[in-house]
Amino acid sequence: MIQFSDNKLKEVEKIVARYPEGRQKSALIPVLHLAQQEFGGWLDVPVMDYVASILKLSPIEVYEVATFYSMFNLKPVGRYMFEVCQTGPCMVRGADDIVSYIGQKLGIKPGQTTEDGMFTLKAVECLGACGYAPMMQMGKHYKEHLTPQRVDEIIEECRKSAATNN
Amino acid sequence: MGRKLLLEKAHVENIRYFDVYRREGGYRSVEKALKSMAPDAVTEEVKKAGLRGRGGAGFPAGMKWSFLAKPEGVPRHLVVNADESEPGTFKDRYLMEFLPHILIEGMIVASFALGSNNSYIYIRGEYWWIVDILEQAIEEARSNGFLGKNILGTGFDCEIYVHRGAGAYICGEETALIESLEGKRGNPRIKPPFPAIKGVWDRPTVVNNVETICAVVPIINEGGDEYAKIGVGKSTGTKLISACGNINKPGVYEIDMTISVEEFIYSDEYCGGIPNGKRLKACIPGGSSVPILPANLLLKTAKGETRMMNYESLSDGGFATGTMMGSGGFIVLDEDQCVVKNTYTLARFYRHESCGQCSPCREGTGWMEKLLLRLEKGQGKMSDIDLLWDIQRKIEGNTICPLGDAAAWPVAAAIRHFRDEFEWHVLNPDEAVKRNYGLAHYADPLEIAATV
Ligand SMILES: Cc1cc2nc3c(=O)[nH]c(=O)nc-3n(C[C@H](O)[C@H](O)[C@H](O)COP(=O)(O)O)c2cc1C
Ligand code: SF4
Ligand code: FES
Repeated sequence: MIQFSDNKLKEVEKIVARYPEGRQKSALIPVLHLAQQEFGGWLDVPVMDYVASILKLSPIEVYEVATFYSMFNLKPVGRYMFEVCQTGPCMVRGADDIVSYIGQKLGIKPGQTTEDGMFTLKAVECLGACGYAPMMQMGKHYKEHLTPQRVDEIIEECRKSAATNN
Repeated sequence: MGRKLLLEKAHVENIRYFDVYRREGGYRSVEKALKSMAPDAVTEEVKKAGLRGRGGAGFPAGMKWSFLAKPEGVPRHLVVNADESEPGTFKDRYLMEFLPHILIEGMIVASFALGSNNSYIYIRGEYWWIVDILEQAIEEARSNGFLGKNILGTGFDCEIYVHRGAGAYICGEETALIESLEGKRGNPRIKPPFPAIKGVWDRPTVVNNVETICAVVPIINEGGDEYAKIGVGKSTGTKLISACGNINKPGVYEIDMTISVEEFIYSDEYCGGIPNGKRLKACIPGGSSVPILPANLLLKTAKGETRMMNYESLSDGGFATGTMMGSGGFIVLDEDQCVVKNTYTLARFYRHESCGQCSPCREGTGWMEKLLLRLEKGQGKMSDIDLLWDIQRKIEGNTICPLGDAAAWPVAAAIRHFRDEFEWHVLNPDEAVKRNYGLAHYADPLEIAATV
């Protein structure tokens, strides 16, 4: 069943309290982030409906928002997501090569997930790290100054951490 | 060495934490403003300082504050714009990551001036780890009596909340940001009404950039008149520039707006020149939306004067031969870069980020992306160049928000200054996929650069 833990529900309450009375809709984006983290890295329709119910919104208000913002995944994604910036300033510093290198190494194209469900590769737009290019976002953090060697290390680290956490 | 007002203490160890920040003189402006000044007097100092909004449009901050409506019994809000998503721009991130307390300090003073008891930081969703840094700074400020009820016993209450977005450049536009803060899609609103009258939750709202709010700290500490003495003309104070592209030392620099563009690119104090002995081809000095300039026009204005790193000088010559300070995202391209390809990635960016409300923007950005990709791949026709020109003109000025203009300008400037490079792609399709056009006739004026 889709249900936040008591702890998470308290977190939701705290988020709602940041906004004026009756404006709990303002909590929608932060609560969707929370839901995505809690329920498998993406927003399935039942998850969105659940968020609608706890914020007392109609489901369409949630779908509207979830489909607008690029960080909400509407399809399952891999355990680790490599979001490589491909905009001008990063392109100038070799972002294209990094995208192809990762693609080759993992045997996937941008937009695809490896068969074992471990990695998703995405080519995204400017992440505000243009001076530290080429770079990518991986979950909460940025990986900057990427080189093929650095990419190898990161993939290795992910595999190790997945093995120990399973 | 230029004056540093914001980044002076950036390298002090542990300056991210309250105790160190306070020991280094932090939060003095809160004490001064709350204990010895009236709210309007704070606004007056910001006006005297001549501080212009650092988010891109350069609107005078003090004037914006004085437009805030103050109807009886209706709460007002300060919302800090930390959406920072304009390609080339990464200065606000630097402030928040390394000096979070300067933002909190500036917000308390600004909230006092505006009468905002609940202020918000709207931060782009991708700056996920910075949310923790800011929330920790807020907690520290609160436990030291600088936030919460009755701050420093002055009777002023203030809370600051961090609101994380979820990936949308358009939410940097202030009315889209307000919509997003209300939990909706980031569709810009039609103005008027302006946020100062009817902003978030229909309440009077001031939206300011991170750097603008940080600049309030030195303004209150030193006084508006002193701040205004730094810089030249209407470019007062200091400006953060995030420099990237083909330079030796990419990073965030604080300049006092009295240095030349040439010095900024070539001196070791700043960008440190161009790697591998390459020559400068072009530059987009104020974030991806501002016009690209070829090296000759970048270093000298059309009148032959040295171009300086300030609002007036960068825009000297209008769009025909000048550009803009914008957000301070300084993108340098060396002789190996292809202007068509670079423009293509920017067009793709704007197509991706268009909210889709206005047909000229929604359809036009898509067309521009397609045509540019075709040209870049050597599959374009001469008439495509004119079509591109035509499309960008039809977008500009015909949309609800300035994203349409922001998408049109880079394309217009690229064709204006580098038309021969576009034509070369059409005339030499086989070569165009193999190599870049290089410097071509821009080489000559570059000797000025080479001799620095
Ligand atoms: C498409 C678009 C994106 C924008 N993005 C940002 C942004 O990321 N950060 C910002 O401070 N201002 C951004 N702006 C400008 C804001 O609308 C607004 O002018 C600014 O936040 C006001 O603050 P300031 O006067 O302190 O600069 C953007 C404007 C547009 C049209
Ligand atoms: S100009 Fe573009 S981004 Fe702005 S409101 Fe219109 S469609 Fe949306
Ligand atoms: S262009 Fe890649 S982070 Fe800005």
